[in-house]
Amino acid sequence: MKDIKLVVVDDSPFSVTMISNILEESGFQVVGTANSMAEAVETVAKTKPDIVTMDITMPGGDGIECTKALHIVDPEVKVIIVSSMMDDEIIHCAKKAKIAGYVQKPVDATEITLMINRIMADEELFDELENLYYTAFKEAFTDTCNKFFKAVPEFTEEENKNDVQTSRGLSVVLGIIGKYGGRMILDMSSDTARNIATALLKQDSIPTEQMINVINEISNIVAGNACSWINKKNNLFGLRVAPPTAVYGDSITISKAELNTVTSVKAATTFGEIYMNVGFNRSEQNE
Amino acid sequence: MNKEYIAAFSSAYLNIMPQFGVADPSQVNESECGRKIASEGVACIVGIVGDLAGNVIYSMNEEVAKKIASYMMGGMEVTEFDEITQSAISELSNMLAANTCIWLSEIGKTLDISTPTLMYGEFTVSGSYDQVCCLEMSIDGLAFYIYISLEERN
Repeated sequence: MKDIKLVVVDDSPFSVTMISNILEESGFQVVGTANSMAEAVETVAKTKPDIVTMDITMPGGDGIECTKALHIVDPEVKVIIVSSMMDDEIIHCAKKAKIAGYVQKPVDATEITLMINRIMADEELFDELENLYYTAFKEAFTDTCNKFFKAVPEFTEEENKNDVQTSRGLSVVLGIIGKYGGRMILDMSSDTARNIATALLKQDSIPTEQMINVINEISNIVAGNACSWINKKNNLFGLRVAPPTAVYGDSITISKAELNTVTSVKAATTFGEIYMNVGFNRSEQNE
Repeated sequence: MNKEYIAAFSSAYLNIMPQFGVADPSQVNESECGRKIASEGVACIVGIVGDLAGNVIYSMNEEVAKKIASYMMGGMEVTEFDEITQSAISELSNMLAANTCIWLSEIGKTLDISTPTLMYGEFTVSGSYDQVCCLEMSIDGLAFYIYISLEERN
C-alpha cells in the first residue's frame, strides 16, 4: 500500500497534537493540520491528503459543513469524523455528507488505524475496478458479436463523460450489483435491433416482443460475461447482473446517472450502430 | 406474485413518503399487467438480485416528479423537470427500493439493488418477466406507479 497522507482538523490544538501523534506512530504521514474551516480548506487544497480527520465542532461551521467545503476543493478526499459525541443524529448527518467513517474521542490507535486501512483498501479496490471494467465489457461485447455473427465491431468515440443521452429507439438497461453497484445500457435504433433479430432467428417480420427478447438476451450475455471476467480477476467484486429491462419508443432521454465512473463507446456493427454505456458507483452497496 | 413481496413495495412507499412531508400517501390500486408498460413520462429502473431477481420501475408524469422533488427539497418551488429534479427522483427510487429490501429481509428474503437508471420521454418499458404487478400509489391525489417484475431464484 502507498504512503497514506492525512490532514488533522480540530479546533483544539491539544486534540490536533494527540491525533497527529497517534497517526504518525501508526505509520501514517500527517501532511497538515488546521484549527478552522478556512484553514482546513486551504490546507487540503495545498497538501492533497488521502484522508482528513475532522472534529464535529468547528468554528466557522461544524464538521459536516466543513466536509462539504472540503469536497468542493477535492471531491475525492475521504473524511473521518472524530467526535466525543456519537449519536444517531450525527451519524445520519455524516452519512448524508458522504463521510467515510467516524471514531469517538478519545481516539483509539487501533480503531483509527483499522478504519484508515479499510478506507484505503476500498479506494484501491475501486481503482482496480475502474481499470478493469471497460476492457471487460468491450471484450465481452466483441466476443459476443464474434460468436453470434462471425464479425468484430469497430469501436469509436470512447468517452468518460457522464452526460444525458438521447436513445436511438431501443435501450436495454441491466443493473449491476455487488461490492460496487452500476449498470450497463445498450442502445440502438429499432432497425439495428430488427436486423440483429432477423439475422439470428433467420426469419423476416419478427414481432417487436421477440426482437426485444433477442436484444435482451444479447445484452444479458455481454454483461454476464463481462462481470464474470471481472470477478475472476478479483472475487471481492462479487458482481451480479439483474435481468434486463428494455425501453423503446420515439422519444427517450436517458438521464445523467449518479455514477462515479462511466465509459461509453459506439460500436459499428454490420447491423448498425450500437451504443454501450457502462458505469459504477464508488459508494458501497447497502450503506 | 406473492402478496408479501408486493406489500413490501407498498409499505416502503407509505413509510418513506411521509418522511418528506407528504401527507397521507396511500395505495389506490393493485393490478396484474403484462410485461408491456406504457410510461407516464418518467421511469426509474432499479435492478434487483438475490433470493428474488428482476426489476422495479417507478413511473410518474413530470408534474408528479416535480412535486416529489419539491417535497424532497423541503418545499422549495420546482418548476422545471431539470437535472436536480431527475437526481431527486433517482435518489427517491434508490431509497424506496432499499427500504423494500429491509421489509423483505424481515420475511427472510435477501436482496440487493443496483444503481437506478432514469429515463424520460414517450416510450414503452418491457419488464423482465411476462407478469408485472402494478401498484398505483397516491401523492396529493396524483398517481405514482410502482411496477414490480420479479421472480424467485432458487
